[in-house]
Amino acid sequence: MESQWLSLLDVSIDFDQSHLFFPRIVTWILVILLAMIVITRYRLLVPGLKRAGRVLAGREGEFDHKRFFGTLALTTAYFYLMSVLSDVFPNTGYSFLIMSVLFVFLLSLLYVDHLTRRLFIILVLNALIAPTLAWYVLAQLFRITLP
Amino acid sequence: MDILSHLTPMFFGLIAAGTLIGIIFGAIPGMTATMAVAVCLPLTYAFGLENGIALLLGLYVGGISGGMVPAVLINIPGTPSSITTTFDGYPMAKRGEGERALKIGIVASVFGGLFSAAVLFFFAPVLADFAIKFSYVEKFLIILLALTVIASLCSNMLMGIFSGVLGVWLSLIGTYSITEGGNGETRLMFDFMEYYLIDGFSLLPVLIGIFGLTTVLLDAEKGFKDETGQGPISLKGGAKFKFKVFKGQLLNLVRSSSIGTFVGILPGVGGSAASVLAYSQEKNFSRDSSQMGKGAPQGIVSSESSNNALTGGALVPLLSLGIPGDSTTAILIGAFTLQGIQVGPLFIGNNIDTWYLMIIALLAANVLMFGIMYFAIRHIAKVIEVPKYILYPLIIMMCVVGAYAINYGIMFDVWTLLIFGIFGWVAHKIGLETVPLIIGFILGKSAEVYFVKSIESYGNLSIFFTKSPIAMSLWVLIAVSLAFAIYLRVRNRRQATVAS
Repeated sequence: MESQWLSLLDVSIDFDQSHLFFPRIVTWILVILLAMIVITRYRLLVPGLKRAGRVLAGREGEFDHKRFFGTLALTTAYFYLMSVLSDVFPNTGYSFLIMSVLFVFLLSLLYVDHLTRRLFIILVLNALIAPTLAWYVLAQLFRITLP
Repeated sequence: MDILSHLTPMFFGLIAAGTLIGIIFGAIPGMTATMAVAVCLPLTYAFGLENGIALLLGLYVGGISGGMVPAVLINIPGTPSSITTTFDGYPMAKRGEGERALKIGIVASVFGGLFSAAVLFFFAPVLADFAIKFSYVEKFLIILLALTVIASLCSNMLMGIFSGVLGVWLSLIGTYSITEGGNGETRLMFDFMEYYLIDGFSLLPVLIGIFGLTTVLLDAEKGFKDETGQGPISLKGGAKFKFKVFKGQLLNLVRSSSIGTFVGILPGVGGSAASVLAYSQEKNFSRDSSQMGKGAPQGIVSSESSNNALTGGALVPLLSLGIPGDSTTAILIGAFTLQGIQVGPLFIGNNIDTWYLMIIALLAANVLMFGIMYFAIRHIAKVIEVPKYILYPLIIMMCVVGAYAINYGIMFDVWTLLIFGIFGWVAHKIGLETVPLIIGFILGKSAEVYFVKSIESYGNLSIFFTKSPIAMSLWVLIAVSLAFAIYLRVRNRRQATVAS
């Protein structure tokens, strides 16, 4: 009798399909948990999503659109252009150096509240010195691969 | 002994440098020890194993310790684990005892750090010896226990469990590795993604994205507003620190350090829980707690000794079981793998010299942290004023180096950094828990191997319950952790109802 019950728990794994065995279980658990979250929090869900939409659209709350989306845009451009430029200067780290100087300067500029002449010079110097130092120490001294 | 040949000036110099950089990161609100380790990872690529470990452990200890500086001077914890330091540190600073408060915190930190290093030294080998006997079944259950404990201690248990399972799911993207006994097929992706994701997402770009870029995005969204509304409190003048302030604090130090170490051993619980628990215990059990919250040294002692005790505690499950104790050790596991170290039950036995070096590095990091912070606290305090418009662009730049160099020049790893930076921001917004997510991500592939191998060996699911007394005990622990979490939730809800 006991062995009959135990046989219900028998499992065999087809080797050809074994790569899907565990992921399927995990996916099902995820779906069940998601359903539980939706069921238990559905009253909060719709207003929460509506509010998020209003905040992102700038109609409610304090959300610095310029700095947030500016960071995303600059970072994406930084990665993309670095990748393009690394085909021009392969295995030298120059692509990293050139794009980092530009990126650090532009992002600092985006984050500053009140730009003065003195601050502008500091930002330029920071953008020139820090990436150059990082490039020299990492790529030249430590021989670390850079784009 | 071979080990002595590694104890070079370079070794100790790197510990000191790591500790100093860690302190600076910890001292800047919003930047954590985890971020310090993530950003400085590329530096370790150039060093050998021993020197890399020296730098990483210095960053870890420094990062945790530095959090007390803004907690005392501007009432904002530099790291989450310094939250309770603000309760008494800031009131002391306001009445002109800022330097005294910081030095009390520094001494308590070094005590907690050394205490936990001793526990690590004696306890980790015992746990590893025990874990060596584990079969695939017990190893799977250990991972299940770790994820259950992490998830059950999250602010929302359901979201915690969901986050942990999501982390496991993400880790399964890629090939079912032949070297692990798999069939070499890819899963959980479309065909066009195979070129990029054949080996799945690399661990470190994922972690660097979640802990580096996400932090920048969260601050960018707020527009880098000055949260303090006022500058830091000056350390000039005021009451002097004297060691006699610790008279009668031994019990507090030992109890708080023990709590910190124990919480560190529990996977994923985090430093803020350690310091809150130690602080509340001191409040409940001390003879006179009437001044706590108004600027009592005992509050700083309990908070700082417990959060530094977390460092050694979190390394216990990492080194003996291969399970990270907190988010920083989650990055350490990636850094160790990069250096060719496979942490787990066999680690200590097979790498005895490395193990001793780790202990020496941890002790030295604590001592150097004390030296640097005690004698240079006035200079370190100025770090709080470094503007984020200077720091954050450099942090993203260093994140790129860390992600790109991990696999010796794969651009997709840099895109992974961006993908998971944005994912971390979204996760933060919708209430996903980061720590269970990353620990699920780290342990997911191992969980699959142990689960599938157990079934292939025994062919029946009952083996997970009946394999051995250890397996049964692990199920009991899983049930207890869930029951405890539910009990805490019910109690808190009742208390909230009564209060309202």
